[in-house]
Formats: sequence, C-alpha cells, structure tokens
Amino acid sequence: MTLKRSASASPRGVAWPQVEAVTIGDLLQRNAHWAATKARIDPEYFRRLSAQQAPDYLWVGCSDARVPANEVVSLDPGELFVHRNVANLAPSQDANFLSVLQFAVEVLKVKHVIVCGHYGCGGVRAALSGKRHGMIDHWLAPIRCLYEDEAGYFDRILDFEARVNAVCEANVLAQVRAVASNPFVQEAWVRGQGLSVHGWIYSIKDGLIRDLETSVANRKEATRLRTRGGAAHG
Amino acid sequence: MMIEDHIRAAAPRHPGGIERSPPALLKEPLEFLFAEHYRHRQMCKILEYLAVEPAFDASLIAATDDFIRYELALHVIDEEEDLFPLLRRRCEPDDDIEDVLGRLSADHALDQQLAQAVRSIFALALERRTPPSALPGGAEALLKLAKQEKGHMALENAVVMPLARRRLTVDDLEALSLRLAARRGVAAG
Ligand SMILES: [Fe+2]
Ligand SMILES: [Fe+2]
Ligand SMILES: [Zn+2]
Repeated sequence: MTLKRSASASPRGVAWPQVEAVTIGDLLQRNAHWAATKARIDPEYFRRLSAQQAPDYLWVGCSDARVPANEVVSLDPGELFVHRNVANLAPSQDANFLSVLQFAVEVLKVKHVIVCGHYGCGGVRAALSGKRHGMIDHWLAPIRCLYEDEAGYFDRILDFEARVNAVCEANVLAQVRAVASNPFVQEAWVRGQGLSVHGWIYSIKDGLIRDLETSVANRKEATRLRTRGGAAHG
Repeated sequence: MMIEDHIRAAAPRHPGGIERSPPALLKEPLEFLFAEHYRHRQMCKILEYLAVEPAFDASLIAATDDFIRYELALHVIDEEEDLFPLLRRRCEPDDDIEDVLGRLSADHALDQQLAQAVRSIFALALERRTPPSALPGGAEALLKLAKQEKGHMALENAVVMPLARRRLTVDDLEALSLRLAARRGVAAG
C-alpha cells in the first residue's frame, strides 16, 4: 500500500506529518492532474513524445520503489529506456533482460547502458541473510555466490549494513561486467557502434548517485575490467 | 562510576552554541569533515553541561536536539555512504583499514540508539520544562552519547582523516565536495 502524508496537529500543537492511504481512484485523479499540467505548460508535449522514442540511455536498476529512474537523473519520459528487477541484475539467461538489452542496443541504439544499484538494497540484504525466503532466493543466487567467492574480504567488514553496502557495490561491478561481455554489446562494439557501459550506486538516504568508475566503451576496456582484481576491489 | 565522577568534578561552564561551518569550506571536503568533528566536540561539551546544569534552558536544548536530528544524521551519511566506501576502494591492503572502518560503522549504529535516547530525554525536558539533569536517566543518557562520540571522533581524526588525505585523489575530493554540498541543499554553481 502507498501512503500519503497530510499535516495534522500533534498533541503539542505542532504540525506533524501523518500517513493516510492513497486509494486507487486517487491515482487516476493524480494522473489527470499530471497530464493536464504537462499539457498546459507545453501543449504539444504528448504528441511529440508519441511520435518517437529515441532515448540515449538504458537504465538497469533495482525494482525498489525508492529509486525512481527518470526522477533521480531528472530526465523526461522518452529520454530513458528502463529495465528494473530486484537487485539490478543483468542475467545472461533472462529472456526479459536480454530482450530489453537487444532492443535498446540494436533498435534504439542507446549510447549508454547504466547499471545503477543502491545502498541498503533489500535484495542484497536478503542474499546475505542466510535465510530462506522462497522463489527470490533463486533469483538472488548470483549475489550469494558473489559474496561467497570473496567472503574473506567481505566478512572483515564487521557491521552488517556496511557489508551489505560493499556487496551492493560489488554487485554493480559484476553486472557491468556481465553487460559488457554480453554478445549484443560485444557485437555492437565490433560493428563500431558507440556504446558505453557504466556502474553507479545510488543512496536512498541522500538522493545522490556515486560513479563506481567501472565505465567501459569498447572490447579492450571490457576485457580489462573483467580481468582486473576481484569483485570486492573492482 | 561515570556520572558520579562527572558530577563531583567542577561543574562545566556554559559552552556556548554550535557555530556553523563557513559554506566555503565545502570546497575542501576533508577540512569540512574535520570542522564537523570540531562542531561535534562542541555538542559533547553541551551534553556534558546539560547533564549537570540545574537550570532549564529551552533554547539550548532545542538547538542541540536540532543538531542531533539533522547534523549528526547527515554526518553519518557523509561517512558511511560516501567517505568510507571511497576509502575502501582507494586504500591499499597494507593500510589495513578494515578493522578501523568496521569498528566505526558499528559505532555509527550505536550512535543512533544513544542519540535517540538523548532526543527522548530532550523531548520530555521541553514538555515538562525541566532540565534534563533532573529527569531519571537524563544525565546518564547525555553523558553516554558524549563519551561515545568523543572516542569515535578521536579514532576518526587519528586514523581515517590522515589516510583520506593520503589516498583520495583530486577527482575524489571534487566529487566528495559536490555531494557534501548537495546533501546540505547546496547545488553546484
Ligand atoms: Fe563517524
Ligand atoms: Fe566523523
Ligand atoms: Zn534494491
């Protein structure tokens, strides 16, 4: 359920945010309000958008509701092609992800693929918890492996939340490596298509993105990224 | 015992408020963080003062509560989700930084509990218009946070800051500066 805040008086008479439920009907009303506002500012906005989709960026991010892709990079609809799943994975056998990647690279010809993770990721935390959660454990298995492969490094980070954050970063690096070695991306580079892959991490606590310095723009750089250090050290 | 020693010692003088760091300092991110530590030390002095002060000082309590609520919380993000991950990436294995960072991260988690206890005391003090020192557990909560913070900062100043000066690149400092400012609502000009 989504909650909205409204001001009401606390016992001490200070305005205090309270939460009340947003109904499904509210969403339709908000949509009408949003569309009307856009149309008022720019009467041709939607007609222009509907005519073509030509984003320069593919965003591979987490499904977490607190990481809204377009909003955090301040891009309008139409400017960002978005794929989101739990813990921002780029699995080489996932038909959904592969379809998105191929379409983005070969049809939309995006110039950048951005893998954006976030600190405190619930998917990463679940993978590290050692508990059984159900179907999601299968999805998160690559993160568990990533952690176990370098457990000696990660376990030196005694604080659990700090360790989760370190694995969040390592996961972004692993997914950048996966995207960069994906045949669709490799083929694009062979064709001479301009395409870069980047690894970023976002913090829900401050709304800021950090560049993890994993950007690659050709096969040579991709190979170098694949062979440099372990997951932990990038 | 800590509280009794503190009460037996000469009562601390009014330490004054916590001054703002000049905004220009944001351009020197490590200096800025160092200055933040100085402000935190000032917060500790106020906590030690309020732990024994018999008079009720609403504005000092409210200002300190605000500092804990906003500034202390921001500083933990500055370190936990910015400086520390950056150091983990930049430090050499020989720097052997993980044990220190691990302890500091655990401190940050404990800080939040201790800070919450102090904020509860402050809320009660303001509601009853009573000095925190007169509330049950008041002095103890305030002194605990002060002691914890002082030890924590000493370790950061002695180990983390010198290492950050050595290992962070010019680009790191520039990016760090941008984010420290953005976190405080200051956009890059
Ligand atoms: Fe700290
Ligand atoms: Fe600090
Ligand atoms: Zn997530």
